[in-house]
Amino acid sequence: MKNARKRNLSLLLYCLPALIVYLAFKLFPAISGMYYSLTNWNGLNKSYEFVGPSNFLELLTDDYFWDSMWFTFKYVIVSVIIANVAALTLAVAIESCRRAKGLFRTLFYMPNMISMVIGGYMWMFIFTKVLYYLADNWGWSFLDHSWIGDPNYSFIAIIIVAAWGAVGYLMIIYMAALQGVPANLKEAAAIDGANAWQNFWKIIFPLISHAITICVFWSLNSGFQVFDVIYTLTGGGPGRATQSVAINIYQEAFRGNIRYGYATAKSTVLFFIVLIVTAIQLKLTGRKEQEL
Amino acid sequence: MKKIIAILMTVCLLFSLAACGNGGTQETNSSVPDGTKNVSDSGAATDEPREAELNIMMSFPQFMDQWETYAKQFEAKMLAEENIKVKVNLEMPSSDQYESVLQARLSGGDAPDLYTLHCNNIGTYNDAGYLYDLSGEPLADVIYENVKATVSVDGKLLAVPIESQAWGVLYNKAIFAECGLKAPDTLSDLTAICETLKEKGYTPFLLAFQEQWVPQLMTGLTLGGIVSGKLPDWLERMYKNEGSYDEVREIFDVIDLIMANGTDRAMEEGSEAGAADFAMGKAAMFVQGTWASNTIMTTNPDMQLGVFALPINEDPGCTRVNLSTSTTLAVHPDSKELDLALKFANYVLDENDSSALFQSCSFNPLATCHNYEAYSWVSDASAYVASGRAYQDLVLPSSVTDEQGRLLQEYYVGTVTVDEIVERLDAAFQAANAQN
Repeated sequence: MKNARKRNLSLLLYCLPALIVYLAFKLFPAISGMYYSLTNWNGLNKSYEFVGPSNFLELLTDDYFWDSMWFTFKYVIVSVIIANVAALTLAVAIESCRRAKGLFRTLFYMPNMISMVIGGYMWMFIFTKVLYYLADNWGWSFLDHSWIGDPNYSFIAIIIVAAWGAVGYLMIIYMAALQGVPANLKEAAAIDGANAWQNFWKIIFPLISHAITICVFWSLNSGFQVFDVIYTLTGGGPGRATQSVAINIYQEAFRGNIRYGYATAKSTVLFFIVLIVTAIQLKLTGRKEQEL
Repeated sequence: MKKIIAILMTVCLLFSLAACGNGGTQETNSSVPDGTKNVSDSGAATDEPREAELNIMMSFPQFMDQWETYAKQFEAKMLAEENIKVKVNLEMPSSDQYESVLQARLSGGDAPDLYTLHCNNIGTYNDAGYLYDLSGEPLADVIYENVKATVSVDGKLLAVPIESQAWGVLYNKAIFAECGLKAPDTLSDLTAICETLKEKGYTPFLLAFQEQWVPQLMTGLTLGGIVSGKLPDWLERMYKNEGSYDEVREIFDVIDLIMANGTDRAMEEGSEAGAADFAMGKAAMFVQGTWASNTIMTTNPDMQLGVFALPINEDPGCTRVNLSTSTTLAVHPDSKELDLALKFANYVLDENDSSALFQSCSFNPLATCHNYEAYSWVSDASAYVASGRAYQDLVLPSSVTDEQGRLLQEYYVGTVTVDEIVERLDAAFQAANAQN
């Protein structure tokens, strides 16, 4: 008994450094943000007043905020599907390669090692210079669109860059899961006459469903908070056409009227929406995992 | 034994982390006795200079070299005259992010000793207590009176003006001369200019709308001209919720003209790329301030750059250049090196060295210590000022300014109409009024 308590204490001590960092840099700012959402602080003055829920009431009629929320949902749905399908396809393709597996893995993972801000500026160059060069000089006129200026095309541009950045990371998780599928099961299915397609859907897919849960969770979560890609590519423009919630919050807090309290109210709402959506997703995919 | 060592090491790690957490306060505590010790040291042995650091944050990434040189000069001057070994840390965040970085630093208690801010924000920052009153400093005596008025509140000089400029539309004098054109006074003059340029195979306007502040310059210039020319009380009424953008709707006549006669792919063109393209002769005119002259002249040193006032209607009285102070340098009142910070502020308008700095950044002269010959585009704009055809920059709430930029982008890509713009700008103005 005494020993067990001693061991627990030492385990706790091991965790403490990480716990302190987590508390100081994650939990404390998050909770104080929720507190500021009940004030009218402008982010600059030394004093502010407690205003109760009025920020949240104002939020209900803020069209720009709900427009950005709608855009974010659209972005999340499209980017989660595209990034995960592409990552799983790549993972299966690379796993089935006999040679140069490591090379492909490294190549596709590489975008993940660059900051998305730099990636965004790189792609900005591609969309505003390279594509036009190809369109003008090589006659590839199907590339001649206003990639940043036309809201429809800029949505595509944003999705391309976001997927490019996320695919490598998701692919690694899927590859690890694929390697965990026992070879004897696949072999047995093959002997029973299953073709590659059946083998994938009936044997492999159910066995990697835990990886799907993780990847969808990760991409949902980061999709709702998307900022860097949009900020570097379109800045939310033209006008507010590609403004995600995170950009809307940033502009409320640091640009224009500088309403820090109101901006934190927006982020509190975003937090609860992400919480609810991911909880539902975990519940659904968790149930699916058991069924399979 | 192993366990004991492990626990001991964890405890050590813990303490080192805890020390990190308190780093901020400990540092400030320890630096004070340090400073005093150094002062007494230098008193005892005069050849041992006191060491000091000065943190300066500026929104001038394009003038990084010039300011770094100036900071080095300041360091040398302090060492020679005051026996202080100053290390100036210059920080230059990009102008897009400058305000948010500055705000985070100020409210986070990590304020720079000196920082640049836009003239329009002086009131807000003064209310928040972030500006030192510079009225008693030597620099107050050298600034021109009309410029001093733009950086003073209640008779207190609160910042050192740095960029004070008269600006309008930039144009390529060589192209204009070739086509036999001269600067326009009315909207029909400008329309005729566009026609002639197109006949001769030139694109009239360079459009670079990727960053929202660039299209916003069109509303800046047109509103300024129309308000000072015929609606002097418009802005005042807007602040009382009694005015509307409907009254100034005619600004869209010239905005339409510019957009219809501009270069393609404007949304894909950033401000720097736009300035470079303009310098290479891609278009004859560019609605951009004289601050872009640095990029333009670097790209094409032979460029013949001129400035004219943007016509809005048929009344030459509304055709005016903008005369404003934009960037100013403020001293933080709680600076640990307040004395040095003030010395630097004074050094910016130094009798001997200031002219070279201002000239190299192509800033306009704004104090008696500035005795250099102005550039062609500066004297163009000054001619308008001298004949009374200039207006003082309109101070709009910055959320309205941002909204104007956004709406002009949307107007360009065709997702809003003028009616919607009027409605949304009125709403943005009223929302800003409700805030203050």
